[in-house]
Amino acid sequence: MDPWKLPISSAIQRKRLLSQSYTSHASASPSDLACADRASDVIYLLLIEPQVITSKFSVFSFLFVIGAQNAWDILLEEESMTRITTSCAELDKILGGGISCKEVTEIGGVPGIGKTQLGIQLAVNVQIPSYYGGLGGKAIYIDTEGSFMVERVLQIAEACTEDMTEYGRFLGKSIQARQVEMGPKDFLENIYYFRVCSYTEQIGLENYLDKFISEHRDVKIVVIDSVAFQFRQDFDDLAQRTRVLSAMALKLMKLAKKFSLAVVLLNQVTTKVIESSFQLALALGDSWSHSCTNRLILYWNGEERYAYIDKSPSLRSASAPYSVTSRGIRNSSSNS
Amino acid sequence: PALLCRILPTRPDRRAPNSFPVSTATAPIEGEKAMTALKSLEREFPLLDINFQSFCASHGILTVADFLTHDLHSLAAAAESQPASLRLKEGISQVLSIVDTLHQPWLDGLELLQDAMDNKRVLSTGIAAVDSFLHGGLRVGQLTELAGPSSSGKTQLCLRLASSVAKMDRGSVVYVDTGNSFSSRRIHHFLCENDDTGIVQRVMSRILRHSVFDINLLFNVLHQLEFVLGSQEYREGCKVQLLIIDSVSSLITPVLGGGSSQGYSLMTSLGVLLKKLAHEHDIAILVTNHMVGGERGNPKPALGESWKSIPHVRLLLSCDYETNTCNISTLKHPSLVSSPNSYMPKKVTESSS
Repeated sequence: MDPWKLPISSAIQRKRLLSQSYTSHASASPSDLACADRASDVIYLLLIEPQVITSKFSVFSFLFVIGAQNAWDILLEEESMTRITTSCAELDKILGGGISCKEVTEIGGVPGIGKTQLGIQLAVNVQIPSYYGGLGGKAIYIDTEGSFMVERVLQIAEACTEDMTEYGRFLGKSIQARQVEMGPKDFLENIYYFRVCSYTEQIGLENYLDKFISEHRDVKIVVIDSVAFQFRQDFDDLAQRTRVLSAMALKLMKLAKKFSLAVVLLNQVTTKVIESSFQLALALGDSWSHSCTNRLILYWNGEERYAYIDKSPSLRSASAPYSVTSRGIRNSSSNS
Repeated sequence: PALLCRILPTRPDRRAPNSFPVSTATAPIEGEKAMTALKSLEREFPLLDINFQSFCASHGILTVADFLTHDLHSLAAAAESQPASLRLKEGISQVLSIVDTLHQPWLDGLELLQDAMDNKRVLSTGIAAVDSFLHGGLRVGQLTELAGPSSSGKTQLCLRLASSVAKMDRGSVVYVDTGNSFSSRRIHHFLCENDDTGIVQRVMSRILRHSVFDINLLFNVLHQLEFVLGSQEYREGCKVQLLIIDSVSSLITPVLGGGSSQGYSLMTSLGVLLKKLAHEHDIAILVTNHMVGGERGNPKPALGESWKSIPHVRLLLSCDYETNTCNISTLKHPSLVSSPNSYMPKKVTESSS
């Protein structure tokens, strides 16, 4: 098959292929074809073994080769995926079990509502071993504001280990026989902490994450606290900010899907003026609001802290109360 | 009918015989005729011999398309200085006469109507209120855009449409997901309302989800889809009825603007490719778009002025959280009166829609 007949999107790519003399056939087996998980790989393989493609073909086998899945397989996969608990039963209930992997979740709220606390709690909870029903993974915490307090993380980790031992005791001796005792220091060891001080560092770090996570495959959550901070000052050109942010959002989505991890973005609020009335809205503008799969809004209802599901493809809109205690995020004390 | 016969649009006719002999086993697909290499024309037109081909290759011309985009006067002038200049110039005029035969065959209005009735049916969205508002649903062969603010129900409408079309059992659904918001649980929910598990599994396996996070990868997927849809073997295989891209704006926004026109050309060529796919292969295409702030704070659909003319149908979705109803209105429609104020209340709840 001649290279210039192929459906390659740009003339430049075609000419590049021609210059590398991709005109002859080399041997590539159908199994090589099936293993190619990037569309560009398939184009090269198409050059090499066109008879394989054109012989027995349907849209399904073709799209399967370039990485599509059918809905039934996705359903089976989703049902077997563990979610990251938030340690608050009410919150877990409205989230359908917890924060799900392969999705980007945005959590926004006024200052002091507990966003960083929730972020730290999730970074600890992702490490809960699988025999306790957790993911047993590691966490990446990207701090843009400097609100990460190690002492607090230690406190939450200690509370988590206490809860785990009590749960183990409740389940009986069979668990205790094979468990490896996880102490609070182990929890701290499994959190990779990055501190960024400017938006360029943040963008650079996001580009680096792909390589980092390829080397540390057990990372199961990336928490960015907060995603808005570095982008709210120093940006004169708002159009450029929109472009940069939407590119960043796509990269995070790709990261979540590729490594099957959860990406949690903590966002600040800003005031929006609509028809001479003030309204609180999440920072970074309208375009950013489309860059997450799920959105959770944390707000005050009287003296209580509440979480509300603002956006989700499969969860119903609901509110749940929670509280921030010395042990971390827990159920609200005034339970009805 | 007499009046219709007098309308003579051109339309790519899939059944037109291939007028080019080619050296490979597969026949070239319609739009690819221009990609025919000069090399392969040598057999039928001996004037285009190896000398001519190497002369053209030295100017970067390898296919008929390259020939057309090259400046012919400068090519003729360059041919003057070559040893076999007369033969080269005859070769040039030979290619030009071949090009004359490359135009699409004429079709009259009656044949168009027949095609519309046979192939371009209307796909129900699964929501009765929306179907009646759109006079049936989405039309095959058209590119429909769905714009709306965040969490107004765009993805839900896409999922509902996907499950409704998959259930009809006339073809498969390709769902391109750019924001990890394809929820198979939701599709399962929509289908389980009426049917039992065995049927649900078969229907769900007709919906294919492809995750794309880059506009160039989207082009790759679409080009390859076009390639497969045009191949002989596909026609016996499973047909694609619906293509959903949720959302196209998140792929285009990172490249749009910024001084260079690369983004605008990518957006326009994407639009052209989608409309071509829709028309030639009888697919309905739905894309979603988000909103940005417009003048005086009123939100407007993203992607700017150039995008406005690309989709055939533009719908606007808005959601009222207090009453939990969604409104849909048309911004642009070829056969409905567009009025931004008209709406159809569509209740969105967990169980029904």
